[in-house]
Amino acid sequence: MSEPISRWTAVETIGRGVRAAPALRTGFALTLWLALVGAGGRVVIPVLVQQAIDRGFTESGVKVGIITVMAIVAVVLVSVATWAQRTAVLRLGRRSEEALYSLRVRLFEHIHRLSIADHSEERKGALVARVTSDVETLAQFFQWGGLAWLLDGTLMLLVASVMLAYDWVLAVVAFVVAAPLGIVLQKVQSHLVRAYDLSRSRNANVMTQISEVVAGAETIRAYDAGEHFADRVKVASRERSDSFIRAGTIGAFLFPSGEVFSVFTVSAVVGVGVLRGPGSGLTAGALIGFVFLTYRFLEPIAEFTEVLEQTQTAVAGMRRVLGVLEIPIGPPEPELPLPLPAGALGVSIDRVDFSYRTRGDTDEPPVLVGVSAHIAAGQQVAVVGETGSGKTTLGRLIARLADPTAGTVSIGGVSLTRVANADLRARVTVVPQEPFLFEGSIAANLSFARPKLSLAELESSIDALDLRDWLDTLPDGIETEVGQRGGQLSAGERQLVALIRASLVDPAVLLLDEATSSVDALTEVRLARALEKLAKGRTTIAIAHRLSTAARADRVLVLDHGRLVEDGTHVALVDAGGVYARMYESWVASTSSAGAAAEGA
Amino acid sequence: MTPDPHISWSHGAFLLVEHERMGDGTIIPEAGGRLRQAFRLVRALVRHQKRTFFTAVSGAAVFAACTVLSAVVVRMITDEVIDPRFRQGSVAASKVLIVLGALILLGFVRAAGVVVRRTWAWRTMWRVVDSLSGEVVDQLAQQPVPWHRTQSTGDLITRAGVDAEAATAVLSPLPFASGVVVLVGLSSVLLLVTDLWLGLAAVAVFPVVIIVTLRYQKRVDSFYDAAQNELGRLSAAVHESFDGVSVVKSFGAEGRETERLAVIASRLREARLSAVRLRSTFEALLDGLPTVVNILLLVGGAYRVRSGAMTVGELTSFIYLFTLLVFPLRIIGYALSEVPHSLAGWNRIRSLLDQPVAPDPSLTLARSPDRSVVLNDVHFSHDGEREVLTGVNAHIEGGCTTAVVGATGSGKTTLLHIIAGLMPVGAGSVAVPDGGVRLVFQEPFLLAGSVRENVALGADIGTDAIEAALAVAEASFVHDLPDGLNTEVGERGVGLSGGQRQRLALARALVRQPAVLLLDDTTSSLDPTTEAKVLANLKSVLVRTTVIAVASRPSTIALADDVLFLDEGRVVAHGRHDELLSTVPAYRRLIEAFEHDRAALDAAAATPVGVEP
Repeated sequence: MSEPISRWTAVETIGRGVRAAPALRTGFALTLWLALVGAGGRVVIPVLVQQAIDRGFTESGVKVGIITVMAIVAVVLVSVATWAQRTAVLRLGRRSEEALYSLRVRLFEHIHRLSIADHSEERKGALVARVTSDVETLAQFFQWGGLAWLLDGTLMLLVASVMLAYDWVLAVVAFVVAAPLGIVLQKVQSHLVRAYDLSRSRNANVMTQISEVVAGAETIRAYDAGEHFADRVKVASRERSDSFIRAGTIGAFLFPSGEVFSVFTVSAVVGVGVLRGPGSGLTAGALIGFVFLTYRFLEPIAEFTEVLEQTQTAVAGMRRVLGVLEIPIGPPEPELPLPLPAGALGVSIDRVDFSYRTRGDTDEPPVLVGVSAHIAAGQQVAVVGETGSGKTTLGRLIARLADPTAGTVSIGGVSLTRVANADLRARVTVVPQEPFLFEGSIAANLSFARPKLSLAELESSIDALDLRDWLDTLPDGIETEVGQRGGQLSAGERQLVALIRASLVDPAVLLLDEATSSVDALTEVRLARALEKLAKGRTTIAIAHRLSTAARADRVLVLDHGRLVEDGTHVALVDAGGVYARMYESWVASTSSAGAAAEGA
Repeated sequence: MTPDPHISWSHGAFLLVEHERMGDGTIIPEAGGRLRQAFRLVRALVRHQKRTFFTAVSGAAVFAACTVLSAVVVRMITDEVIDPRFRQGSVAASKVLIVLGALILLGFVRAAGVVVRRTWAWRTMWRVVDSLSGEVVDQLAQQPVPWHRTQSTGDLITRAGVDAEAATAVLSPLPFASGVVVLVGLSSVLLLVTDLWLGLAAVAVFPVVIIVTLRYQKRVDSFYDAAQNELGRLSAAVHESFDGVSVVKSFGAEGRETERLAVIASRLREARLSAVRLRSTFEALLDGLPTVVNILLLVGGAYRVRSGAMTVGELTSFIYLFTLLVFPLRIIGYALSEVPHSLAGWNRIRSLLDQPVAPDPSLTLARSPDRSVVLNDVHFSHDGEREVLTGVNAHIEGGCTTAVVGATGSGKTTLLHIIAGLMPVGAGSVAVPDGGVRLVFQEPFLLAGSVRENVALGADIGTDAIEAALAVAEASFVHDLPDGLNTEVGERGVGLSGGQRQRLALARALVRQPAVLLLDDTTSSLDPTTEAKVLANLKSVLVRTTVIAVASRPSTIALADDVLFLDEGRVVAHGRHDELLSTVPAYRRLIEAFEHDRAALDAAAATPVGVEP
């Protein structure tokens, strides 16, 4: 994600990748040797043909005994090679799956430990993609490309060595004649890649247009536009197919070019071999064996061009994955943590600035500028302000989900940067605006705060917040499934679960990001009741969206465009006639008409 | 690894051509053998691409013939070039040139066969994809709204996209596979002619390779499918976990979440490992076993050469040919293993295409003699149980503007959809005038295309008419867009606000000069000033048009000539706004509620205490 990483070379990326996933290196040398032995299985036939022709089919007759002995040796060698190949493939598969697994786990952990500033909405998708599709390009690579490198690479190496050992002159002839193939393939390959890129983007276009026919079904009927929409899809589909056919045609020439080069190479080898004749020490068997070897040597080359492309994709995926691991993790643990004092804790905010991290060079406007306030232990404070005033961010800084870009936040007189994370989480708890519930039961979601509590203990915490009557309305009580993202519960009920969850931590400081969504009257009453019980004796900071909350608080902090503009009691601020007074006025007006609307409906 | 790089490339992303409606319907997977099913499927697919398909197959046949002939050339190289030179001391240069010339020529013809096969196989597949997705899209575009409401959006999109490709995936390896059949036939003949007994031994191996590959492919596919499912689960869990990152952090649960995800990731690893284990064994065996057979053939051959039944060259070409065959043989197994996937895709598509087009709901409408809209005891229910409209009666005067007012769920939108002919009249009758009814939806749908295309929607409408409609709809913002009327909007184009989209949608209706214009809260996203302008324009331009507008802004309602007050699916009152205000208490209460609602929203907009992003 940060720029310099994109400039890592392929070699550098692979090197760093191997360091990030050391399982790849473990025992790799042995895997390579086994693959080499496995490749041996594929040169057994050419060598056997050569040996049989030179030693078995002599002019004095066919020596069946010698051929049989050679065949037995060959069968043994093939068996060993088959076993070695299987073992090499299995080892590569194991190690790569192991490596991908540990890479995924490292990513999970690292991403979860990133500052909340790195978890902005627009980045979330990218982070998910790193752990899924990017790691998946690596998985695909190991399943096909990596395997090809291992098996075909060792095969070509071995075949080339055997060819050189038989007759270096013929080997050089073969390599020289075959060499231009590499250049041709690379040229065609680059065209092919572009052709497929175009095809894929056109394919995406077809999918978009098909989905329009479905999503726009009503409009289509209301405007008799069925033919028009269908034609659009057909045109797009035709364009897509044309480009796929073009790409396929290029590919069709790519593959048999190996074929054409092999006949030239074999002809050259036979021609030169025949020209030199037996006088050069070459035998008939060696020449025939050489013909077999030449075919073997050229077989994998066409496939290699595909493998190269896949390798590039995998390296790009690896680069992105490593990029995430390069982002420094969120608020770092202090090296020498200071303990928090026991009992209630006050909160001090001292000249705090904050900006979200940017993606490019553009300067993101600061969210908070020079905010200072001291909140005494046990005080009930409401923070208010318009959308974008920075009040949610201020709450996040107090919970140290991110560190301020300048200034300090302290609790109980200790700067947050000196408080151990575990200590902080035990003493400061956030109830977010849209509480997030994981798929599972209510009990499982509550356990998230304190994993080891028994069901009975969980139930008693519900009683403590006076929510027994609510629990009894649920079909399976505390075992009720909440569904994906808590979708089976209403917004208000999700907030109730979040409050109970927060109470389990028994924090000294409670941060409450008030919900904006409307809640039915009964749940509203339950929420207020539970909240009152929960807030008792704790320092409570409410990011308030309803000014009724502010009206009840001991103190109101008013943020405007990232600055703290007013600070005082509700009554004092209303009298002062500033920002808060204006907000209050329009709020009163809107709620009274909303009340009338409710009555009318 | 994969038998053919292009097959590995997309494992199901290939296909097709002209292909009309076929009456032969779905193919029952268990009926007949796999080969029979494959045959029926392919026949159905290539019906209108026969020539392309058979060109590909003949390319494959040329390839097969040349492969067999190249074995003959290898025998000639051994017996007539190398052997004389190395054993008898010399060979005629002309002989060498002829044999090598034949080798090169064969190489070229064989390569040409491959090019023809691959090009036309690919062409066949994509042309069939074209026609299959075309058929699906035609079906989607023809089916009326009630049919669409019963379908899952995702499923329909899958039919035209993924399933069309899956159905045709079998076409890509098929010409090669048929070429291999030719190859196996010709080789068998050559092998048997060269030496009957050795030939029989070699030929016996062919079916073994095919069957082993087929079984292997089936099993390994099931492992990969399982791994794919695990990957889906992992992605879902990662999504959820990263979405909930603030909760995770608040409770210091980073470690626990990592462990939870690690467990899911380890299941993916295990699923993949099962596939790797199977693959490593089978791939090695499929390499090793034919080699062992080849060695045995050599030993057997040695005896035959000794007895004079064959020459060294014949034995060499025998072994060469066998080496060449093993790999293509696997293609047959591979192609057959594609059949179940393709069949499943094909059957899903057929099940959609074989559905008759549901009756057009607009056929349930009657014609009114003048420009009025007459509703007579109209009933409607979506599910056959709870009625949304329970006996609506109204005579809406031609050329008037009528506001339809009611609380949420009172049936306003459904009523408009019925008048527009999108939903059928359940019971009772609805009469509309000739000359077209156009509905402007509350949530306008824009397609990915230019402003012009979005307004015209394929109708032949000139620039002047479009400009005029845009002017009435107060959509002059279009002229400020980078390319004016030709600016791309929708999915990948310029982002438009809700109000801008509504005005384009309004222009879309106006440009068609309908006899009846239906507005479903169409001006709800406009600011009050713009809304007032739009409504004034409509009044002055649409003198003869009957306008029926669902409205919730008191200012909008006040502009109507008439108000139709709906409550729980029936007309409670029909009359002038001020009349209803003074005579119908429920109406007055609703209007007051709307007013307060609006005031609250406007206040919130002016001083948003509300939603923090």
